[in-house]
Amino acid sequence: MKRSLRFWTRYTWESLEVVLGAMAILAVLSLLGADREQTADFAAQLPYLLCASAIFGMMMLNTGSQTLYVPLLLSMGETRWNVLLGFHYYRVLVIAVTMGLCALIWVLFPGELSGLGLRSFPTILCVLVAVSSLGSILGTLFVRWRWLGTVIIVLLCGGAGGLIGITSAASLNGGFSAAAVVKLAGYLVKTPWWLVLIALGTLAADVLFQWVLLRRREVKL
Amino acid sequence: MNEHLTEQKSIYLQIGEMIETDILRGILLEEEQAPSTNELAKLYTINPATAAKGINLLVDRGILYKRRGIGMFVAKGAREKILAHRRAEFAGKHIAPLLAEAKSLGIRREELLTMIGETEL
Amino acid sequence: MSLTCQHITKAYGGREVLRDISLTLEPGRIYGLIGRNGAGKTTLLSILTAQNPATGGTVSLDGQPVWENRKSLEKLCFSRELTANAESGLAAMKVKEYLRIASIYYPGWDKEMEKRLVELFQLNTKKKLAKLSKGMLSMVTIIVAMCSKAPYTILDEPVAGLDVVAREQFYKLLLEEYTETGRTFVVSTHIIEEASDILEEVIVLHEGRLLLMEETQSLLERVRHVSGKAEEVDAATAGLELHHTETVGRSKGVTVFLQPGQSVDETRDVSVQPVSLQRAFVALCGEEERHEA
Repeated sequence: MKRSLRFWTRYTWESLEVVLGAMAILAVLSLLGADREQTADFAAQLPYLLCASAIFGMMMLNTGSQTLYVPLLLSMGETRWNVLLGFHYYRVLVIAVTMGLCALIWVLFPGELSGLGLRSFPTILCVLVAVSSLGSILGTLFVRWRWLGTVIIVLLCGGAGGLIGITSAASLNGGFSAAAVVKLAGYLVKTPWWLVLIALGTLAADVLFQWVLLRRREVKL
Repeated sequence: MNEHLTEQKSIYLQIGEMIETDILRGILLEEEQAPSTNELAKLYTINPATAAKGINLLVDRGILYKRRGIGMFVAKGAREKILAHRRAEFAGKHIAPLLAEAKSLGIRREELLTMIGETEL
Repeated sequence: MSLTCQHITKAYGGREVLRDISLTLEPGRIYGLIGRNGAGKTTLLSILTAQNPATGGTVSLDGQPVWENRKSLEKLCFSRELTANAESGLAAMKVKEYLRIASIYYPGWDKEMEKRLVELFQLNTKKKLAKLSKGMLSMVTIIVAMCSKAPYTILDEPVAGLDVVAREQFYKLLLEEYTETGRTFVVSTHIIEEASDILEEVIVLHEGRLLLMEETQSLLERVRHVSGKAEEVDAATAGLELHHTETVGRSKGVTVFLQPGQSVDETRDVSVQPVSLQRAFVALCGEEERHEA
């Protein structure tokens, strides 16, 4: 088990480098896009960019680890159970470190946005867990059944596109009702129980799904 | 030693024969240490178990003996034993094939004896 | 501490790849696994090391099942034939990284030996696996196998792509390591004749079945090639197990596999020759008959 920890911890570190790199790029882009912002406000926004890049990063890296590291570790005599545990230990670690960095930034640069950020910590955590689990399931699907994964991704993109279209249309047509905005903000501050359930549910689904596939998986390098 | 192995005969037999030939040639003297299994395996790139089989064959014939903790040594009188053994085998190994080949060529015994008398080494 | 498999079967869909294979690998020997392409060698080795689930049957090491058992798996090393083409996930990985991961997962990893072998093979460890030639990939396979120091080490096609001098280096290396440590090695190879001298026991797989498993030397002592006039050959080999009959005009050549107590009738006018392991294998697993008018 110690061996696994060594491997996955180092992989976490490498993945975080990628995530931080992605965040830096996003940060630079948003700096260029916006006009003069106050440093504190900008700093407070960074964590959101960090979370976004963490999500994307994890989705990309997950595909990579399914294709490469899982068969590789199995070929080196690791048990499937340890591979599963190791992989999720790595995922949890990435989320934990990401959240830790977010919290650190918000604490270092206090302000309204930061305060909001710190209060909505649990919500953000749940969203991160849920979205990364979904991404993980997607990635696994894609690697195992290329065509099915592609179909789902296309559907999701289509769905996301449609959703964005509807929301933009709605906002153009007089914006979200004030009530809707308040409700959303409320979710941020007081984590709704169903969000927690979704987070735990998707995590469990991810673990289960991977285990079912991993159990009879054959090693092909 | 240092001959190449052929595929004509079992390797362990060849190993045994090579050691015997060395003893006959005075390369290995009585009471001297014979090459170890591992040395032989390394020299000929063969499995140590095969080398051991060859050596054990010689031990069974009384050509080599084991000194505990040290290794295999050439027994006293090994040279005589080998000579006697090879003489005994001579007929079956060299003469019988000679006669068979002569027969298939239609060379009669008298002709054969004349040939032997006339052939110089 | 032997590695045993009982009644292993493996099927993909309806296609049977391995049929009822049972064998025991005793500790401290060098085994050779030979068979034609597609005979099921890699599949069997994968199953023996729990990297592939069997459709039926069990594999155990020292009485303990191997499947999902870290204690058993630590003692095994399956160094696969690497083919890092563009599709494989391994393509972008550097040799250094591959060896590093191996050193994490094999508890007995010998760093000194790793350094020594990398230098011996002149391997550039900063290169990506996709950029390596077949020969260099084989060298990586060999390094992992040797440095793992696993009590049971399996090498799948370790000499593929190596030139003859490098192959000789490998056989010497293998023997040296074996002599020093007494580890059990299983070498799966197509280059049969070169390896035959170092293999103590040979396992022949054919079309998913275990054809034979025998000490190399005793197998070679019971295989003979009998040739001469067809009638004489038939008479000399009556009742014996024959393979790979070749006829040219009135002459005939056949490879005989003798059972204990049997022998070729040498009173007949036939030539009886010993057979190399490679020829014995081809006779056993190659085409059966060849006629030339």
